[in-house]
Amino acid sequence: MARRFTIAMSLALVCGLVVAEPAAAQQPKRGGVLRMAEREAPSLDPHLSVSFLTHSYVSLVYSQLVRFPYGPEQQHSTDFSIVPDLAERWTASKDGTVYTFHLRKGVKFHAKPPVNGREVTADDVKYSLERFMAKSGFRSRFDPVQSIDIVDRYTVRVTLKEPFAPFLNHLANPTYCVILPREAEEKFKDFNHPDSVIGTGPFVLKSYDKGVKLTYERNPDYFMKGLPYLDGVVVEIAPDASARLALLRSGKVELSQLWGWVNPEEARSLKKTNPEMVMTPANAMGQSIIYFRTDQPPFNDVRVRRAVSLAIDRKSWNDALLFGEGCLESGPVPCALKEWKLEASKMDPARAKYLVGYDPNEAKRLLAEAGLAKGFTTPMFHWPGYQPPWRSFYDLAADNLGKVGINVEMKPEEYGKYVSTTYLGKFEKMAMGPVTPFTEVDDWLYGAFFPEQPNNRSNVADAELNKMLVAQRRELDPKKRKQIVDDIQRYLADKAYYVYVPSLAWHVAHPPYVKGFRFHDGYGLGPRLVHTWLDK
Amino acid sequence: MKRYVLRRVALAIPTLFLVSVIVFAMMRLMPGDVATRMVEGHAYAPTLAALRKDLGLDRPVHVQYAEWIGGIVLRGDFGNSYWTRQPILDEFVRRFPVTLELAALTILVSVVIGIFVGIVSAVRQDTASDYVGRILAILALSVPYFGLAVLVVVLPSIYFKWTPVWTYVPLTRDPLENLKIMTVPALVFGVTRAGPIMRIMRSSLLDVLRQEYIRTAWSKGLSERTIVLRHALKNAMIPVVSLIGLQTPLYIGGSVIIEAIFRLPGVGLFFFEALNKLDYPVVQSVNLIIAAMVVGLNLLIDLSYAFLDPRIRYR
Repeated sequence: MARRFTIAMSLALVCGLVVAEPAAAQQPKRGGVLRMAEREAPSLDPHLSVSFLTHSYVSLVYSQLVRFPYGPEQQHSTDFSIVPDLAERWTASKDGTVYTFHLRKGVKFHAKPPVNGREVTADDVKYSLERFMAKSGFRSRFDPVQSIDIVDRYTVRVTLKEPFAPFLNHLANPTYCVILPREAEEKFKDFNHPDSVIGTGPFVLKSYDKGVKLTYERNPDYFMKGLPYLDGVVVEIAPDASARLALLRSGKVELSQLWGWVNPEEARSLKKTNPEMVMTPANAMGQSIIYFRTDQPPFNDVRVRRAVSLAIDRKSWNDALLFGEGCLESGPVPCALKEWKLEASKMDPARAKYLVGYDPNEAKRLLAEAGLAKGFTTPMFHWPGYQPPWRSFYDLAADNLGKVGINVEMKPEEYGKYVSTTYLGKFEKMAMGPVTPFTEVDDWLYGAFFPEQPNNRSNVADAELNKMLVAQRRELDPKKRKQIVDDIQRYLADKAYYVYVPSLAWHVAHPPYVKGFRFHDGYGLGPRLVHTWLDK
Repeated sequence: MKRYVLRRVALAIPTLFLVSVIVFAMMRLMPGDVATRMVEGHAYAPTLAALRKDLGLDRPVHVQYAEWIGGIVLRGDFGNSYWTRQPILDEFVRRFPVTLELAALTILVSVVIGIFVGIVSAVRQDTASDYVGRILAILALSVPYFGLAVLVVVLPSIYFKWTPVWTYVPLTRDPLENLKIMTVPALVFGVTRAGPIMRIMRSSLLDVLRQEYIRTAWSKGLSERTIVLRHALKNAMIPVVSLIGLQTPLYIGGSVIIEAIFRLPGVGLFFFEALNKLDYPVVQSVNLIIAAMVVGLNLLIDLSYAFLDPRIRYR
């Protein structure tokens, strides 16, 4: 008995040690500067640019009312649940139209003139949200907002015109609603001047040498006590992708871009040259689509669109261009947005085949049925400059479609033209390209399918669908909302308004001494770095 | 001489006028519309009409042109960027030294290599060194500089975990560090530009070496060194100098990619990004400034002919 006890004790001790040791090794250390390579942002004013670079760079500096969980707080990379940021708590009225936010007391702006460490109050929140609604390219996200009122110094009330389920998610997205100090705009006219970038976030923008680098320092007064661990962050501006990877390889930066992503091909080569590099596969939001003028012939005929979808050999596509690591997208909700995604396997196979199936003979039959037995020629508008392997994507799509008699005429466009026309649904017949990732499922549905939305690139107008799209926005019960979102995905299965090809795959790569840098999708570079530390 | 210079400066005016009209028209003929992009993508104004009015795009084209060119000629005002609202000249002045330095070093590299190899090739015509020189020239001509730049950045990072890409430091702040940063891009760019110079140098020198005054020099018993360097080279330089003048716009245009790869905050990238964003005033003004510089440089080069060949007179 005594012996058994001893063995048990020893085992417990050993286990304890085994468990305790990594825990001890994982104790975060303070200090060090993290360097990353990235392109230059077009502006630093979060409301005068829709660039993810802008929002990522200022996310180190600003806070929001509420935010997503990051680092040890997050369950997975698309955990978009809502946690407190500047608002320590909030309440919603029963009908979901009145939100009351209670601010943390004693949170101070960075000690930079003209704000000089002043306390954040309800007035700053009202000012910032109203500026977002007036100026941002994303302002339509707040169309349902009726008014923003100051209840007292630390309380703000937002009244909506109608229940709006995406509201808190939009508020937590760093792309939209950061809290800005009014004085800075008064002095500098906007928030683009580096001296005007004054927030309450984890890092202070120390200097911005245009075209060269952005330098941030730890905010010693950050309201999350003991955080961040890093003394600073440097963004080295490097416009060229191969140079960014070379900087990572040669140890001159810790991250070769904002999320630390490298593509599967680069990951394989990096593993050979730098075996010490830590690499984690990342299933990131993002889709690759073929889109149509569904309001004009021949793509107003669902049979023609289905034929396009059935002509795509997704499995071979994924193997050939993405080392089998890409996700075979089934419908408008991206694979990575797990909580909202309805897998094709859970749909009626007879309809789901138009999302994920490969059947060139059936495609030819459908074309014949639509009176196009001899095939037809269609342009494919696109911007050839997206990162590799995008150029191969266009070629493979043309090749796949050619095999069923759809002759694709490549129409490469200059970037300025592409983003101001094709990208906004103004083109002829057919186009192809990636989709901007959003954190709220509403953007993937309402944004992509509701009439007159800029992201409704296929010019979809479907009355039955519209009802469901509106319903999911107004449903506040997450379970019921999920049901509607599922119904939408089922409904869309055989419509082929968009044709989804495999989405890109990534690996997060960084040297082993970078710790606590957990991949979180979306644009919160600052909050991702709050929990990051350097073990050296 | 003075009259010649004055006449050339006067001739530059219609040249620059034509450049300004062409670049102004081309920007507006380019597909895509800057106002649509600024409103639909970025909310710069509540409506398209409001933004067009704000930017002055609602007025007739000739009025827009007159205002732009008038601002430059009358007030030295090159306008503001549509997107950043910042004065174009400020940004240009801030970035130009980087591009200028890159161009100067590139020219230096290409001239030193091109002339040296060209002379050796010509003087040792049809020997092994001539063939090596000519092969090198063809190689330099056929390797695209952007390809070479990527190789120079990527290969050492793979094999030696080192890469010749640094954080840019201005010449005035730390000349040594600056030189370290600029050397590799200038070498890459310069080597690929040395090819044409070498070939022109060789053929021009061969031509001169067969002239009668060179035969006279030989018969006087002068050394080969004196004949080539003192008598032949100067005359043979004229087409080479013209070529360098003609290549100048290439140094500015090609700098876009070199600047992007080597992280140099120069004019090339500023111009390229403006072009992508259809930032009319930036593209127009930067183009015009560079055109003026090219015109000025070509004038200097024409004037240098008198130094190279005293028979040349300016009237």
